[in-house]
Amino acid sequence: MAKQILRCAVNDEAVEVLVQPYATLLDALREDLGLTGPKEGCGTGDCGACTVHLDDQPVASCLMLAMQARDRAVRTIEGLSKGALHPLQEAFVRHGVPQCGFCIPGVLMAAAALLNEKPRPSEEEIRYGIAGNLCRCTGYTKMVTAITEAAASMPQGASSR
Amino acid sequence: MRRFELALPRSIDDCLKILTERAGEAKVVAGGTDLLPQLKNGLLTPRCVVDISGLAELRTVQRADGQGLRIGAAATARTIELDPHVRSKYPALAESGALVGSVQVRNLATVGGNLCNAAPSADMVPPLLALDAEAIILGPKGQRRVPLTSFFLGVRQTVLAADEMLLEVAVPAPGPRSGGHYLRHTPRRELDIAVVGVASQISVNDGVCAKARIALASVAPTPVRALAAEHALVGQPVTAALIERVAEVAVEAARPISDQRGSAEFRRHLVRVLTRRTLTTALERARADRRED
Amino acid sequence: MSTMKTTRDVRGVGLSIPRADGAEKVTGRVEYVADIKRRGLLHAKLLRSPHAHARIIRIDVSKARALPGVRAVLTAADIPELKRKAPTRAHAVLAIDRAVFAGQPVAAVAADEVAIAEEALDLIEVQYEVLAAAVDPLLSMQPGAPPVADAGTEADTSEALAHSAVAIAKGETPTKAVNVSQTSQVKRGDVAKGFAESDVVIEHTYRVPMVHQGYLEPHAVLAEWDTAGNLTLWASTQGSFNTRSEVADVLGIEENRIKVIPVECGGGFGGKIRALCEPITALLARATGRPVRYVMTRREELEAGMPAPQVIIRLKTGAKRDGSLIALEAETVLESGAFSGTVLAVSAVFLGSLYKWPAFDIKGSEVLTHKPSVAAYRAPVAPQTIFAIDSQMEHLARALGLDPVEFRARHLSRPGEPMVNNQPWASHGGHEVLQKAAEHPLWKERAGWKARGSNGKLHGTGLALGGWLGGLQPTGATVKLNPDGTLSVLTGQVDIAGTNIALAQIAASAYGIDIEKVKITTGDTDTAPVTGLSAGSKTVYTVGVAVMQAAQDARRQTLEIAAGELEASVQDLEIVDGRIVVRGVPDRGITLTQIGRKGNLYMSKVPPVLGSAHPAFSQQAPAFAAQIARIEVDPDTGEVTLHEFVVVQDAGRAINPLGVEGQMQGGAVQSLGMALTEALAYDDKGRLTNPSLLDYRKLTAADLPSIETIIVEVPSPAGPFGARGVGEPPIVPAPAAIANAIHDATGVRITECPLSPERIALALIGQGSTRPTA
Repeated sequence: MAKQILRCAVNDEAVEVLVQPYATLLDALREDLGLTGPKEGCGTGDCGACTVHLDDQPVASCLMLAMQARDRAVRTIEGLSKGALHPLQEAFVRHGVPQCGFCIPGVLMAAAALLNEKPRPSEEEIRYGIAGNLCRCTGYTKMVTAITEAAASMPQGASSR
Repeated sequence: MRRFELALPRSIDDCLKILTERAGEAKVVAGGTDLLPQLKNGLLTPRCVVDISGLAELRTVQRADGQGLRIGAAATARTIELDPHVRSKYPALAESGALVGSVQVRNLATVGGNLCNAAPSADMVPPLLALDAEAIILGPKGQRRVPLTSFFLGVRQTVLAADEMLLEVAVPAPGPRSGGHYLRHTPRRELDIAVVGVASQISVNDGVCAKARIALASVAPTPVRALAAEHALVGQPVTAALIERVAEVAVEAARPISDQRGSAEFRRHLVRVLTRRTLTTALERARADRRED
Repeated sequence: MSTMKTTRDVRGVGLSIPRADGAEKVTGRVEYVADIKRRGLLHAKLLRSPHAHARIIRIDVSKARALPGVRAVLTAADIPELKRKAPTRAHAVLAIDRAVFAGQPVAAVAADEVAIAEEALDLIEVQYEVLAAAVDPLLSMQPGAPPVADAGTEADTSEALAHSAVAIAKGETPTKAVNVSQTSQVKRGDVAKGFAESDVVIEHTYRVPMVHQGYLEPHAVLAEWDTAGNLTLWASTQGSFNTRSEVADVLGIEENRIKVIPVECGGGFGGKIRALCEPITALLARATGRPVRYVMTRREELEAGMPAPQVIIRLKTGAKRDGSLIALEAETVLESGAFSGTVLAVSAVFLGSLYKWPAFDIKGSEVLTHKPSVAAYRAPVAPQTIFAIDSQMEHLARALGLDPVEFRARHLSRPGEPMVNNQPWASHGGHEVLQKAAEHPLWKERAGWKARGSNGKLHGTGLALGGWLGGLQPTGATVKLNPDGTLSVLTGQVDIAGTNIALAQIAASAYGIDIEKVKITTGDTDTAPVTGLSAGSKTVYTVGVAVMQAAQDARRQTLEIAAGELEASVQDLEIVDGRIVVRGVPDRGITLTQIGRKGNLYMSKVPPVLGSAHPAFSQQAPAFAAQIARIEVDPDTGEVTLHEFVVVQDAGRAINPLGVEGQMQGGAVQSLGMALTEALAYDDKGRLTNPSLLDYRKLTAADLPSIETIIVEVPSPAGPFGARGVGEPPIVPAPAAIANAIHDATGVRITECPLSPERIALALIGQGSTRPTA
């Protein structure tokens, strides 16, 4: 089976990479682009560990074929910040959020997308914003605190960068 | 996932040609939220997958000539959830879109996929049934319109032939003093699938029901209309007592199975409860509807 | 080995500080097994039996072997090491002539790509003769049930010993009921007489189905052999030494020819203690001569993981009108799946020892069925047992018209009082925890909450008390002083829960140095001292002691060297801000850096400082937790909305309160999942009907309120700085708390988990309680 050329933007850089036609976007990011931040927790869109941004919207990358990202902009956890940590990342560290850490990249991408849409979310909005991300270690409470705090510290209308 | 070829048509015509050539061994993918899990489970093993997510003309939600909706097959649940016109004039539909999966799934899942996958639990179908929507299908011989009431043949089966594709869903405007609501019961608030879903759409004139549609998900091999319940409403003054009786009649349209999501007994009970609740809210919205014409 | 005061005011024990790997985790830089790349890596897939019980007549792999890109296909016939009668699940690498659960591996493939490996599975032809399956545990206990185990397989009790050091009561080996693999009984007094004397006798059967531990990262392992026949395993595991031992035993090779590297583990909760995928992956790597990685899919995890057992408890209790407890009779059935491995004794201990019963008769049975065999799940069997005994105590209190908390407090066993096995209860803070919970506004204001139910919704509040006895396992640790005056701590313990930062804090406080100067490393099985499992709520309790003692040893060595250099005596020295000084004479001192450097200089006579400790333990430290749930019930749909939830827990001494809170909140949510939505649902043929996360429902953030935490500290005699294990207690009480809350709201007592909307709605209909609502 012949590979296909995927041309898109990943973390603000133009990429051109050969992918299997049956590869998911998650596979391509992890295997072909070396971006192992997004994880496979279930492969069926039921856990959120694979969450990345597609044109700034949060999507389950395990449910997309890699080639469906052609000519679009993808952002993974590796592209959430350049150099200094994003306020969400800082808040997560400070509040002791990550335990095993497996869900964290997905949660942060979902939270970043939420804050793009709602810069000052209520607790309920935060909970629904990350409701597509399962976490087994933390019980979500410290995530909500950290996201609230990060939101308060960010200027209104800040992008996910 | 087993290996397959991937076709990337650049136009609807292109897509149609591929479907004709590969009829029987090709599957269309738009959002992939139902298809990819089935591919991964080996439930489906197409030799060729055809990606329509790049066809911009299929992704839009438009007003049709000032009334009604034209929903492109690849319009996402998220679009349906957030579109201001849909939220204001077709609230049951917007509500159903908002319930699909999670935000990460809604940004991919499409209306067309929800229809063509034809699961009995498809959330966006009951509101569309309750709005008398039609499927616009394109095949080698041209377009045809199929009312959604005739679109579904069984579990995961539709009237689509192997060389046809869904183009659009056409939703007529509900008419004056009309209101709708969709509710479903799920054990969790998100990432879940309807144990029972009910959409009610009702129009009233001076408190008398002029038109009624009640559609049920997850209680039969396909989403179904509760016709007897609808008839029990039309022409009657809509009171709480009538709604109660109508909810009881709606249960008769349900032929639920018992599975690990819910027993038949519980599902029948939920049809009663959710019909009552959606009719009550639909009535309130109908009374508040200030639509002209 | 007693509790130790901190030396001077160093930043160590008691601080709420984030763990050191936080930045790596929030940037996605931490590597899990599936992220590791090795040159020439192949991908493994397993073909699994679709039948719960079947004879394997014939397997033809020729077409699979011929598929381009396939590098090896193995069946049991290719693996001479396999024991005909597999004593444990890990030994049953591939089914030989009989499959004993749906999902059992019967063949294995290694290929260039995952997709090719999957296609290869499709090409393997297996001829099965389907046999009758033992699916219902109660039926499986009957004589004549389809047999599960190969005759002669021992009951495997290694798990019990790791998780709780309770003595196991041995029962007779059953001869007629072939699938009853363990039995136990503890008795005291005359229960029949007791019931006859009781004013109130309540009997219920409680049931909690099999549930999955639910870790987000599926099992994953990467195996590679070198040319000398040494095996390296990169494993997602809770115990690298245990993994090494099990793999060595299964493959019949020596432990020191295996190196297990514990890669960052994406959750375990007991499900990643036993070897599962490691042996077959190692065999594929040997057959191909290339590194092979196997990552389970979520479907495989649910169908063929190692879940928690189903627990069925018939519980009969008698009390007098004055509130005194008279008699308790119980029959516990633990469904273990196809191999033995449950912790029977724990259930008996909690049923009969938590509260004081003058007479009791508690029988336990472990039964085998044709389902995937079980492993531990955070406080194994305790949540299910507390669901029974706490619900029953609540019911008794209400039947007697007594305050439910006072009733529990009155009868809760005190330290020193006998447990069912006549061992005395170790010191514990159960009463303090209960007292603190009773003072909480959620409990005190429950009448007001109930009265505020409106629009047809019913309000209720429920409280429950549970805990964990605390595990013990010998372990080791080393602490070295670096030439620049910093400390490096080495253990073998896998840090899943954030224990490393707590251990670093212990080292800091025990040595007398600031936490910033301490680095802790988890070594692999070649480099680290033999370490126990990260499980059983015993990491801080045991590895913490090892680290503390190693740090104390390092401190002693440091002071002895300094005494020589300063010509002072050791007892006059103290460590202040990285300097060893003579007390009262601040000018006379030497820095840690100087000592460290001297220990590394060419021709130096000063040795390097290397503290070490390798203790074993005998004293458990039980830890209690109480939880209160404030709920709203929609009586028409049965939906429960959890409005507020609090965990009150005795941590002994919170080494790192931030970490302790995280454990309390995470454990509580797992407990709530067991209470509200989770169940592995099998059909009558023993096949799982919900093998995806869509239908195996774990709670989302939208289903929950913020979990409030209150830490109580009743120091343990033997824990480091008084600490008790904190991982397990919080998963225990919620099923009982929710059942009690539902009863409070609706008047219905539900004794089967999950306490689903369907169960609640149908129970209310059965009661004739539904009425039209908004």
